Amino acid sequence: MALQANHINKYFYAPDKFQALKDISFEVKKGEFVSIVGKSGCGKSTLLYILSTMDTAYDGSVQLAGENITGKKQDALAAFRNAHLGFVFQFHYLLPDFSCLKNVMIPALRLGKLSRAQIEEQAYEKLTLLGVGHQALKTASRISGGQQQRVAIARALINNPDIVMGDEPTGNLDTRNTAIVFDMLQQLCREQQKTVITVTHDNDFAAKSDRIIEMSDGVIVNQHTR
Amino acid sequence: MSININSEVALTYLIAKKKQTLVASLGVTFGISMYIFMNSLISGTNEYFEKMTLSATPHIRLYRDHQISNSDRLNHFLGKASTNLISNPKMVNSDERIDDPYTLLQALKTNPASLAVSPQITATIICSNGSLQENGNVSGVNILEQDKMFDITSTMIAGTVKDLSTDPNGIIIGSGMAENLSLKTGDNITLTTSKGSTKVLHVSGIFRTTIKNVDQTKCYANLSVVQQLLKKDRSYITDIYVNLKDYTKANRIGKQFELVTGYRVETWQSANEQSIAARMIRDMIANSVVITILIVAGFGIYNILNMMIYEKIKEIAILKATGFAGRHVVAIFIFQALFIGLLGSFTGILLGWLLSKTGSMIYIGKGNLEYLPVSFYAKHYIQGALFGIITSFFAGYVPALRASHVDPVEIIRG
Ligand SMILES: Nc1ncnc2c1ncn2[C@@H]1O[C@H](COP(=O)(O)OP(=O)(O)OP(=O)(O)O)[C@@H](O)[C@H]1O
Ligand SMILES: [Mg+2]
Repeated sequence: MALQANHINKYFYAPDKFQALKDISFEVKKGEFVSIVGKSGCGKSTLLYILSTMDTAYDGSVQLAGENITGKKQDALAAFRNAHLGFVFQFHYLLPDFSCLKNVMIPALRLGKLSRAQIEEQAYEKLTLLGVGHQALKTASRISGGQQQRVAIARALINNPDIVMGDEPTGNLDTRNTAIVFDMLQQLCREQQKTVITVTHDNDFAAKSDRIIEMSDGVIVNQHTR
Repeated sequence: MSININSEVALTYLIAKKKQTLVASLGVTFGISMYIFMNSLISGTNEYFEKMTLSATPHIRLYRDHQISNSDRLNHFLGKASTNLISNPKMVNSDERIDDPYTLLQALKTNPASLAVSPQITATIICSNGSLQENGNVSGVNILEQDKMFDITSTMIAGTVKDLSTDPNGIIIGSGMAENLSLKTGDNITLTTSKGSTKVLHVSGIFRTTIKNVDQTKCYANLSVVQQLLKKDRSYITDIYVNLKDYTKANRIGKQFELVTGYRVETWQSANEQSIAARMIRDMIANSVVITILIVAGFGIYNILNMMIYEKIKEIAILKATGFAGRHVVAIFIFQALFIGLLGSFTGILLGWLLSKTGSMIYIGKGNLEYLPVSFYAKHYIQGALFGIITSFFAGYVPALRASHVDPVEIIRG
């Protein structure tokens, strides 16, 4: 099992006490491509932050790649994310002072498994696959939103993570690039048994994935497997 | 590898914020250069005054103290049958001589701690040349030993100390006295004591210390001359001056001498307590200025790093989200602080040297002080750089710790 969420409840306390997630439980198999859909404000991002180990203030438990990550220390979680998780944020969040290439390389340099030259080569390869290879040496703050998003996807994939999570990873992309990204993610699932969980508003994108989880007001209302 | 990526991120930030980096390191630069300059000036000044003091004061002076009359003798003769008291005891008039001085001198000379030993007697005299008269005092000394101690040679403007050592009836006088009595080397000078004894001597040399009082009154003659003037025998010595290999140990060694010989010891420190006090005050002023400057520089770094962290908080969140642990974030900002500290220390050393060099060229021209006394010791430069780096480290540590506590999800959620 790649992911297991057990009875997750999440409350926000400011401005008023508000339950954003209500008793969420589900599982994702290894090699599965899951899309989470739902109206704006239904709690998709909130759920994804918990699943991606960044948010630790919740009730319930989460297991990722066979490890129980609930209750782990911040630094242990950081190392876990570095090695096992790739994350594409809803608003791409690159480091503006670095080149696109460096942005992609940093998590791999942090992991320190490969030589700098190997990392650079892989980063460049990923950028090229996503159609932003020619932007590699530009500063990240000087490329378009869609380009930034693709650089962010390349960064999420650089450490060859077991699980890739995306919060609308194709939100800023045209149909052609959306298709490229989808194919890339699907290939990871099919060929390398990686697991992909994405939040999306794109119905076509969702329809092509293995399973759709539909959320409404903090609860899972529907799941259908293709 | 992991150190590389932290420092790489840190360096990128430093370069992206060139201006702030520079301003922060300038704070350190000024702090360090002031530290170096102040310390060099203070130590130069201290050395100058110490040298001045030691050119007139021996490291240790041994002499016989006046004693107050006591009842020892009475007890000896009358026994314990009665209680013997002396009402209104007075100081006993002794001739202050050191008993068997040549044995003591030999013992002091062979002491491994001593460098030069010089026996002394002084007499208050009236110097005259024809109808011209001046008050003065003459020190009967072994001039060669005395020269080893006070480097009289360097103050000589006519004749040499050798001339006195070879002429039993020679005398070296100060430039003020020479002027007032219109004397030059080879002339005769008449010395008269208050008890009426008179001696005619030849001027073998003239010195100038630039201390007016000394130049007008002080004379050096051979021991035997002064003994004759005072109508004393050849073993009449009242003071023994000792210079040590390490003058800073004067107090400790002086104590030993006092215990061993039974004579009173005055060290150069106890003879010049006011100048020791002045030195302590100078040190205190310098330290408070330097500490203030370093604190200000530290706050500069603290402020700028704090600002930088505030601006970069989103990026810190991203770094943490992609796998940087708290300690990595600390390392990034400590690296920045240390970089600023190193840059500032390096330029501070250069500026400090430049300030010291410039300072040492400021003309004073009072007494025998020509230029501002500034010393150049590697110690001060190394200390300055160390202080700069340590200050930077602590100034960076607090904001770095704050940065490491950034909760990525708080920031990324917006
Ligand atoms: N920091 C916060 N403090 C309080 N409430 C929050 C906070 N973040 C989100 N919420 C609330 O939690 C609910 C879920 O928000 P979330 O961001 O998960 O929505 P979403 O499904 O991702 O929406 P979208 O599709 O627009 O991104 C919303 O009602 C939102 O107002
Ligand atoms: Mg969202």
